[in-house]
Amino acid sequence: MKKYVYVFFLILFLLSFGLEAKSSSGDQNNFPNKPIKIIVYTGPGGLIDVTSRKFAEVASHYTDATFVVENKPGAGGIVALKKVLQLSPDGYTLYACTKSNISKFIETGGESYIDEMDWLALLMMDPECVITNQQNNLHTWNAILENARQSQEKQIWVGPATGGLDHVTAMKIWDAYGINEKWVPYSSGGKAIAALLGKQGVAYVGNPREILGNDDLMIAAVCSSERLPQFPDVPTFKELGGQGLENESMWRGFAIKKGVPEEILAWYQDVFKKVTQDESWRNLWEKGGVQVVYYGSDKFSKIIETDVTDFQYYLKKIDIVKGDDSDFLTSLGRGLNLILLIGVSVVILIGLIILLVRLHKKEIIGQVIIIYFFLSLSIIFYIVSFGFPNVGEVGAAVVPRLWIFALIPLNIYLLIRTLRNKDHIERQKGDMHQVLFFIAFLAVYLVAIMFLGYYISTFLFLFLGMYLLGYRKIMSMVIISIMWIIFSYLIFYRLLYVQLPVGSLVEWIF
Amino acid sequence: MEILSNLLQGFGSIAGITPLLIIMVGVALGIMAGAMPGLSPSMGVALLVPFTYTMSPTLALILLVSIYIAANYGGSITAVTINAPGTPASVVTSFDGYPLTQQGKAGIGLGVSLVSSTVGGFIGTLLLIFFSAPLAKVALNFHPAEYFALAIFGLTTVASLGGKNWVKAFIAAMFGLLLNMVGIDPISGVSRFTFGSAELYDGFALIPVLIGLFALSEIFFQLEKGDFNIKAANTIKSQWPSIKDYWKLRWVILRSSILGTVIGIFPGAGATIASFISYDVTKRVSKHPETFGKGAPEGVSAAESANSSSVGGALVPLLTLGIPGSATTAVLIGALMIHDLVPGPRLFINNPEIVYGLFASLLIANVVLLVFGLFGSKLWIKVTTIPKNILFPMIFAISVVGSFAVRYSFFDVISCFAFGVFGWILKRKNYPVAPIILGLVLGNIAETNFRRAVMMGGYNIFFSRPGSLILLIIAAISFAIPFIRSKKVKTNSSEKNS
Repeated sequence: MKKYVYVFFLILFLLSFGLEAKSSSGDQNNFPNKPIKIIVYTGPGGLIDVTSRKFAEVASHYTDATFVVENKPGAGGIVALKKVLQLSPDGYTLYACTKSNISKFIETGGESYIDEMDWLALLMMDPECVITNQQNNLHTWNAILENARQSQEKQIWVGPATGGLDHVTAMKIWDAYGINEKWVPYSSGGKAIAALLGKQGVAYVGNPREILGNDDLMIAAVCSSERLPQFPDVPTFKELGGQGLENESMWRGFAIKKGVPEEILAWYQDVFKKVTQDESWRNLWEKGGVQVVYYGSDKFSKIIETDVTDFQYYLKKIDIVKGDDSDFLTSLGRGLNLILLIGVSVVILIGLIILLVRLHKKEIIGQVIIIYFFLSLSIIFYIVSFGFPNVGEVGAAVVPRLWIFALIPLNIYLLIRTLRNKDHIERQKGDMHQVLFFIAFLAVYLVAIMFLGYYISTFLFLFLGMYLLGYRKIMSMVIISIMWIIFSYLIFYRLLYVQLPVGSLVEWIF
Repeated sequence: MEILSNLLQGFGSIAGITPLLIIMVGVALGIMAGAMPGLSPSMGVALLVPFTYTMSPTLALILLVSIYIAANYGGSITAVTINAPGTPASVVTSFDGYPLTQQGKAGIGLGVSLVSSTVGGFIGTLLLIFFSAPLAKVALNFHPAEYFALAIFGLTTVASLGGKNWVKAFIAAMFGLLLNMVGIDPISGVSRFTFGSAELYDGFALIPVLIGLFALSEIFFQLEKGDFNIKAANTIKSQWPSIKDYWKLRWVILRSSILGTVIGIFPGAGATIASFISYDVTKRVSKHPETFGKGAPEGVSAAESANSSSVGGALVPLLTLGIPGSATTAVLIGALMIHDLVPGPRLFINNPEIVYGLFASLLIANVVLLVFGLFGSKLWIKVTTIPKNILFPMIFAISVVGSFAVRYSFFDVISCFAFGVFGWILKRKNYPVAPIILGLVLGNIAETNFRRAVMMGGYNIFFSRPGSLILLIIAAISFAIPFIRSKKVKTNSSEKNS
């Protein structure tokens, strides 16, 4: 009887984790009653990350709410946005956004995302500018322009990703002056600046703040209607004869999933206004030439509308937004054809296995399957690579094909050796069934996580796992499993704010 | 001698109980973050950033760099004890560290990795203090063509890693490189091999693949052997290296530390490549290369001193140019910004007390790490005495959290599992799995720089720039040597036989 009491409490205990993790979904009257998450679409250390962290710090002076920054990098913001859109619009998740997101959405055909969000507030405008290296002969705008006109489109500009805001700004500048130069992208603005300092390019497009800290860097010209008070010596493009470059800037702000109650929206607007007025907030940004502003939803949404048309025009110009091309090889790597292709390769594999069994070469079946896997992977990837748009001098397909061309001969060589029985495997004694059984057990565990959540299924998994592997001290099995659950709850959920999966079944019940 | 007096001032500025306490806390947290698969040094640092808001900039930096260096060491603990490298850079540590544990000599592995780490970290810091200006120049003049050549050089280490299985090692490396192509193309921005799935836009995250290929496949491998009922050999009484043993490693540590620092300065290359290359070099100059991969202390030492000294290297571009040299230093830049400091040459002039205080704390942190590690090792080694039927389910439970925590995505958990099974299949057929990781790490550097270089100067540029030409020649030689050697050995042995 005592045993059942233990089991009962155990179940209660585990369920409480499920409940705790799901807890308190939105009591509107006393918003906020749990930490507000700010989802940041870059890794820690990026500018929007710093913005969000500083915001969290400043905002904590004006409200009782706790703000927690969560980095969810990936695909230029799409991964983070999808995460936000998955959650219910209870107002506890903010999305820290920048103008770069808009270009990414358009680039990947995700314009519809823009309508699913409430663009709450735009908090800063960071004017775009051309930065040069004083150690270079060409460091004034006129010198660069002069050189560009002579170099026949061979002048090198460096900056972050192709199709991003800085690249589009560069294209606008080129258009304004009737030139067209070469954009060499780097994985981050910082690395592009390193290239500028190493004299690999003559110009970098970014924001004024980026020259601080390094005396070799200077701003050649800035895309604003008037000179920046922080950099009075820097001319604007308007002064230098560039038309239509008065208002190019990077904005940063916050958005929230549509459907959040009005009171909560008003609460946020109040916080944003207060933070905008904050001394330390203004100081940190204004020093770098950033305009600290507060634009509410209406103005923000209008700005986004203009950005969308802008990006659509320029991204089409450099062929990132694909038109439809339909030659044979391209279509082969897409949709239904791709499934057909994989199907054929599986059929060939089965044929191969039967052949090997007939030839009494059972002992090399494993080796041949691996080689066949790599070969068919290479071929399928090769076919898929025909679908990549050919942008720039070295297209997206060049390097993958390079690896494929190395992979194929290596595997053919290995195949020949294997068929001649020259590939000797150091066989180890053992029982494969044990492993296969355990793999199946793990697969069940992973499925269980999706339904029952991490905590409950991990408890069961640990307990059963130890039992299956021959451990028999029931008490210590229970204790170890519970200890791990408490540990992972405290460390990951409490300390690191990692929301381990709760499980759809648990969610459905509560 | 201005540096020395500045440095003294730096020590002065952090003298006191609070900074020392902060270093100790940072080191302890860092070891934990590094040892936990799924928590990389950069994540460890990022998690602590909010706690530094209220501190002075100097204290904040001290805390963050202490975590940084300790996390770099922490990754080696699990690499040695359970073959689950906590960080990509400690993959190489597991090559010889884990065999040592299997032979019941975990003490040797842990001791060597700790001492090499701290000495390497110390040497890296000294190089940073005294040579940051010339090193920064080298970093700046490194053209994309040279980055590409360096990546190719890194790839050639596969030839000697693979030994007589070199074909399979290269297949594994090429597979890693191809795997790296999945996701959005970093140069043109088009998506490649994503098959319409948003999870694949950024490709496979490194950590889940790492956990799967190493930790999980090792579990499967041992399950197959079926000896999981027996306790591991009586390692609790395991021998620890003596001072003499450490002294034997002095040249390995010195050479690997210099290599590690130099490779560490190149933004993006960092700790992982440094450890692969210095392991390779150490193996080549060793008098008994055949022991490598079977528990050679030199192997552990080379890997650990290289990846720890790369911290010093990664700070060079951060402090002198304001450019992050690694994922972790990128976080440091953010932390500096929050404290209203702009990294770059100006920082040396405007806030020398911060820069030199940072240098001083790096030196102290390495000493603290050594002390903590000496006591801690007695604890870590107990992991090897946990019965395997408890340990294996635990490792799997940790792997799930670890791979989930990277991007909070269940997709990563599933891919971790899949790579675990795949790694086990490969291992059974004698494919080494480490080259896959190398391919994944190098793929992006090789590709983006190859394409940048061609954009800048056409395909000839790799041979017209002396730097890249020399590196490519070294790569070609280092690729060819293992084959020439093995031929020689063959002819020698056949001569002996006849």
